[in-house]
Amino acid sequence: MRDVKAGSSEYITLVSNDGFEFKIQRSSACISGMIKRMLDPNGGFSESTTNVCKFSEINGIVLEKVCEYFYYNEKHKDSRDVPDMDFPPELCLELLMAADFLDT
Amino acid sequence: MSNRRAGANRIRGPHSALTDFLAANNISAAQIRDDYERRQREAERDRNAGEGSAHQEQKDSSDDEDAALAQAAAEEASKKAKKRKRGEKEVIEKIKKAKAAEKAKGSKKGKKKPKRGESDEEDDDDYDDALARNMYKKAKPPPGQFEHCEICSKRFTVTPYSKDGPDGGLVCTPCGKELTKEAKAEQRAATKKPVGRKRRKVESDRLDGLTHLGSKSLQQLCIEKVAQHHNQIDSLGDLPGSVYERLSQIFSKKRVMNPKTLPVFLRPDLDKIAIDDAAYLEVDDYKQIFAVVPHVEHIVLRNACQFKDEVVEYMLEKCDNIKHLQLYAANLVTNPMWQELFRQAGPRLETIQLQWLDAAFDDDTVQDIVEHCANLKRLKLKLCRRITEETVKLIPRLARLVHLSLQVSKHQEVGSESLVSLVTTNGPNLQTLSLEHFVDADDSVVDAIHYHCIQLKKLRISENDYITDAAYEALFTEWQNPPLIFVDFNSTRCLEENEPAQAIGLASKSFAALMNHSGSALKHLDIASCRHISKACFMEIFDGATQYPDLEYINISFCNSVETTIVAGIFKSCPALKQLVAFGCFDVTHVVVPRGIALIGMPTAQDAIEQYGMGIGVEEAIGRMVAVTG
Repeated sequence: MRDVKAGSSEYITLVSNDGFEFKIQRSSACISGMIKRMLDPNGGFSESTTNVCKFSEINGIVLEKVCEYFYYNEKHKDSRDVPDMDFPPELCLELLMAADFLDT
Repeated sequence: MSNRRAGANRIRGPHSALTDFLAANNISAAQIRDDYERRQREAERDRNAGEGSAHQEQKDSSDDEDAALAQAAAEEASKKAKKRKRGEKEVIEKIKKAKAAEKAKGSKKGKKKPKRGESDEEDDDDYDDALARNMYKKAKPPPGQFEHCEICSKRFTVTPYSKDGPDGGLVCTPCGKELTKEAKAEQRAATKKPVGRKRRKVESDRLDGLTHLGSKSLQQLCIEKVAQHHNQIDSLGDLPGSVYERLSQIFSKKRVMNPKTLPVFLRPDLDKIAIDDAAYLEVDDYKQIFAVVPHVEHIVLRNACQFKDEVVEYMLEKCDNIKHLQLYAANLVTNPMWQELFRQAGPRLETIQLQWLDAAFDDDTVQDIVEHCANLKRLKLKLCRRITEETVKLIPRLARLVHLSLQVSKHQEVGSESLVSLVTTNGPNLQTLSLEHFVDADDSVVDAIHYHCIQLKKLRISENDYITDAAYEALFTEWQNPPLIFVDFNSTRCLEENEPAQAIGLASKSFAALMNHSGSALKHLDIASCRHISKACFMEIFDGATQYPDLEYINISFCNSVETTIVAGIFKSCPALKQLVAFGCFDVTHVVVPRGIALIGMPTAQDAIEQYGMGIGVEEAIGRMVAVTG
């Protein structure tokens, strides 16, 4: 049953603090508890109508890796012995902070 | 030895004007011929691959698929070409493939012969192009000659082992070594880790109870990466305390919690420091902890082997906020120091958890605890070799005790009376009672629990072969205590071979009474080695109809009467089940594990030692199991 309400488009936009925008699937992004809550129409956040989430503490490079993680996670949802996603160690700490913030 | 120069035994072919000219311009005819033949072979191979997919195109009717396949063939061929590090080569191959694909796309069915003809044309083109190209390309000088390195322009002697440079020339030995190193690093990054090491890690995770269906969380991945690169980390910045704790757990697990990495975890505003393996840390490191984080309230140091008297002094000096203290294996602290610690910090302390103390810490020290730590709520004394029954007699004086966990050494005899008086005095307040390995405890202790404990949430009585089934049954029948959340009665059974006259330990009647009383709230059930529980009893309790909504962990190891139907019943009765441990249950075979459950300990060689749920539901799993076992 496809929902035709304004608030459930299939793709949503994530915006980093340096202006990069990433359009990703809603189902992948909602792996993050924080984003799921932001986009929840019952939550009362404005993001649920605009489908755009702005992150003022996460920069573009980190946000890109986060999006990559979302797709990697969804792709391997039902498989076992999944190989770990690769990312450069320099990015590690910022990515950890972002992951913690996004609850993912 | 060999004082012949490398070039001295070179065979010289016929000299003609042409060869002289070529040699003078650094062109080697033999080289050209070899290159051409090699390229021919490769082009042939690629064309076969291209033709293979071209045939498939002819079978399909849709144009889109043709284009896609042609594209794929072209890409595949060009990928092969790229690996050979000859820049010009790639371009030629690409163009040829694109041409072949175009021609193949346009061709109708059954046009094989003309295709061959086209290939012949392409052959000729190739040959001409290649020859022409190679005429003007710098030929590789044969071994023995001097050549300039492509990368660093140094002059070096060409040997049969000289590596190719990125543009087709040769490189000197050091640059060659670097190139191979880079290539290897690339390769290693591209391929997966060796199967053995990765599988072991996955199995270790599973035995830890983490069922990994799907990928790990991003936080977990990052933390592992940080642990991998622990050498390069200076500080962790502004992360919340829970991340610090998880990180310190992983560092400890990987044995990299050492003086160099410790500062990463110290931040002045933390109120909990938890180090699971402090084996590498020395006196100065402990002092550093207390210096940097003086307001710490909660200290957990396990395997704190180098925790000495002077550290305790320093801690008492710097930290006046400590409420919860957990020190495992702090064997270098002497008795007077323990006394000092409890005297000074005692009134504030709410938690004392000490394990593995062999050298010091005896009944007198416990006396100090009892005297000075009036506010103590949580006490855990396990594996402290010197404490005796006296300790058990002293504990009732701690009036505010809420959580009590005791395990005395094997060699100490602790009579029932002291335990009874302990339970009688502290019972009403206790939420946790854990009495491990009290072999002399008898029914009176359990009776005391029944009468006096009204707030228990966690109960453990283990490794006892004296208390009878009837006593346990009486415990759980009409007990004022609300349903328990954590129950552990492992190894309560008769140690002799023949069945005793009167059932010992947690047996059928008492197990039924237990599940009757606590089944609704129970989360953790451990009845390992309770071998007197009968099959009928298991079947009645885990019949599939009665639901135990919170039960997440069950350990039924070494209960020989368990068989497959009972396991099926467990799956059905426990919707929240995450882990089922069943070592030594030899009648359990061919289990199909539903989603989200980890089954650990299957005895047959064909089943993996841990199996965990594939993506099927409970009903389906049970259906399959019934079909197999009949």
